[in-house]
Amino acid sequence: MSTRWYPIYQRGNPQLRVFLPNFWMKLVRPTEEQPANVVTFAVSTEMTKYDVKNYLEKIYKLPVVDVRTRIALGETKRDQTYGYVTKKDDVKYAYVTMPKTEAFTFPDIFVNKAEKQEKEEKSLDESKAGFRRFLDRNKKRPGTPGWYSI
Amino acid sequence: MLTLRRGEQLRARLNAACRRYLSVKAEPKAVTVADAEYTAEPEYPVIRDLSYKSRKLQTAAEWHEQIRQLPTVEEKMIKVNMPRYYGYKVVDLNDTKIPYNALPLTQHYTRTVLEELPTPQAKTEDKKDDLDATVKMARDDIIEALEYAHDVYKHQLQLMATPPDAVKREQQLTQIIVELVNRSALQVLSADYGHLNEVEIDYNPRHEAFWAVGGVDPPKNVVKSKEGRPWQKDDAHDSCDRLVQYTGQPYLALRHRHQLPTWKSPEESENLTLAQQLPRFKIDARTLGYSTKYQHAVNVPGYWPSANAPNFGMLSFQSRAHLQLRPKSCGERDDLEALHALAIQSSYAWLLAQANYHGFNTYNELTYPWNTQTVITNGREWSFYEYQLNTLLVHGAYVDTNPRVNFCRGTAPQPLYAEISTEGKCVDFNDNTLRQLLELYIRAPSIRRTADELLPYMGGPALRRAADYENAEQREFLEHTFKHLASKRPRHLELPEVYMWEKIYKIDNKTRALEARRRFFERDINPWRRTLDQHDKVYVPKAERPGGRKNREGRFKKTYYP
Repeated sequence: MSTRWYPIYQRGNPQLRVFLPNFWMKLVRPTEEQPANVVTFAVSTEMTKYDVKNYLEKIYKLPVVDVRTRIALGETKRDQTYGYVTKKDDVKYAYVTMPKTEAFTFPDIFVNKAEKQEKEEKSLDESKAGFRRFLDRNKKRPGTPGWYSI
Repeated sequence: MLTLRRGEQLRARLNAACRRYLSVKAEPKAVTVADAEYTAEPEYPVIRDLSYKSRKLQTAAEWHEQIRQLPTVEEKMIKVNMPRYYGYKVVDLNDTKIPYNALPLTQHYTRTVLEELPTPQAKTEDKKDDLDATVKMARDDIIEALEYAHDVYKHQLQLMATPPDAVKREQQLTQIIVELVNRSALQVLSADYGHLNEVEIDYNPRHEAFWAVGGVDPPKNVVKSKEGRPWQKDDAHDSCDRLVQYTGQPYLALRHRHQLPTWKSPEESENLTLAQQLPRFKIDARTLGYSTKYQHAVNVPGYWPSANAPNFGMLSFQSRAHLQLRPKSCGERDDLEALHALAIQSSYAWLLAQANYHGFNTYNELTYPWNTQTVITNGREWSFYEYQLNTLLVHGAYVDTNPRVNFCRGTAPQPLYAEISTEGKCVDFNDNTLRQLLELYIRAPSIRRTADELLPYMGGPALRRAADYENAEQREFLEHTFKHLASKRPRHLELPEVYMWEKIYKIDNKTRALEARRRFFERDINPWRRTLDQHDKVYVPKAERPGGRKNREGRFKKTYYP
């Protein structure tokens, strides 16, 4: 993806120039259940079905049978302070059908999430308990700094 | 509400117990005319399941029974459409689009077992029969017809200012070929096969059918709404029904007064294990590439209901022109499956529409099987299918419990000729394909049934169609309403529109709190829920009013909705 916009052609400029287009594709988890051979992407609204197909076939060497796209309206949101309405950008979704022999499951990126959270909570509990111990110890001598002890 | 139901249940149980107690205590007496209400054996009313789910099922079953009881074809169709003024939301199956991997969905939606037949080989010398003589006779006529069709179309193309696209070209050429081939076949065969003299030919008829399919996962909004209600929470993920409308336009269809013979016995057709092995497509059909639309339930087999018409389809020629538009990456196997899917859908829909004119529909089961034959062609490639319709019940729980299945058998496409040379001559004509085509014509519709057997759900010999009603006003009303539904014309009052500014500033963000709430979405009115009879009645001008100008009773025309 290039960060440049394709410059508009002006008379006298060189004509045959190839820039990297502003194309991007983001794999997203489908909101509704789909056949195993269908993959959902959020793509740049400028990409056509053929762009999506070529992108996946030429760059990632994926077998693509068919591509269907739609443009979803961006969400609107009301400003909490001033009450004006703002809108997010529209997104194009591409539903890519692969051969029926293929199956795609959306990767579970947060497999260890629960485990990690448990570990974090454990350390938090430990520090809480330590602080409670400190409070208990200094109950009878309020205002004493933490280091004033054996 | 819950407590009320609990109360009802308790009362029912108490009543039953009381009755049981009383009947045990009562001395058995000789039954006289006066106390005929007492029986030796106590008879209790059926204890009905009063849970929400079973009450819903009960209401649905009652509605299906009401449809069955209606005497005429038109009234049954109007009754099915009564709940929606603007039409049902239907999955749009048609002969112009078969998406990738559509066969499992087709088999589920039509409850069809598919049998792929091997391509028949050319017969050896010693196995020749009398059909060979006919093929030989027809051969030259058909070749001439093919050459003529190509010649004519070439000429027509030259006259056109802008040549049409590939799909249109194929359709136009195939239409000429099919019409000529059909004419030659009828000419050659009708001398020997009498039934061909009685066939009715429809050119580009409308074939449309409506049915309900069960066993589909509920959409997200349904799940969400059910989860919000305590009495539906447990059933939130239960499968729900999807309504389907098929719309097709074959090149040609032949109809006859009698039915084609069946090729599966009733025992073979009732097979629960086979039914349960059928593919099930539980996901939304839109994930395959099918679309949905709103329209009335329409069943049209190519003609209007009439008493003595040739009511039974014998053969239809379907187009495969739109399959050209499928991406090449689908592969050969899937293209073949798409042909199978098209054959199944078109045959099922045509037979369902015919059965509808005999009083059956997606909610009222068939009492006898229906058969038809289908040809899918582009002029050069021909594939032949036979279809037997045994059941129409695919909705609700029937998708799991109905033991009957439908059958389709057919071949892969075979070429009728290799090509038409630059001199306009037909090269490599395939007798074998012609033979198969003629076999379809030769199969005589031989099954005859009595009227009572044919029309078990109709009103009897005097009342089968709206035209049979004595009351002219009722007759006209039913006819008009039925044809209006079938015409798919938009409603006189269009659906109210939600403008984009309203969605942004009134629905999604409530920025206009002080404005009067007058629009339908602000008053909790769902326009889709409007029923067919919710409209103003037709005003009768004073001059035409029955009972004189001052008669206020007859100000509006009566309606006869079933």
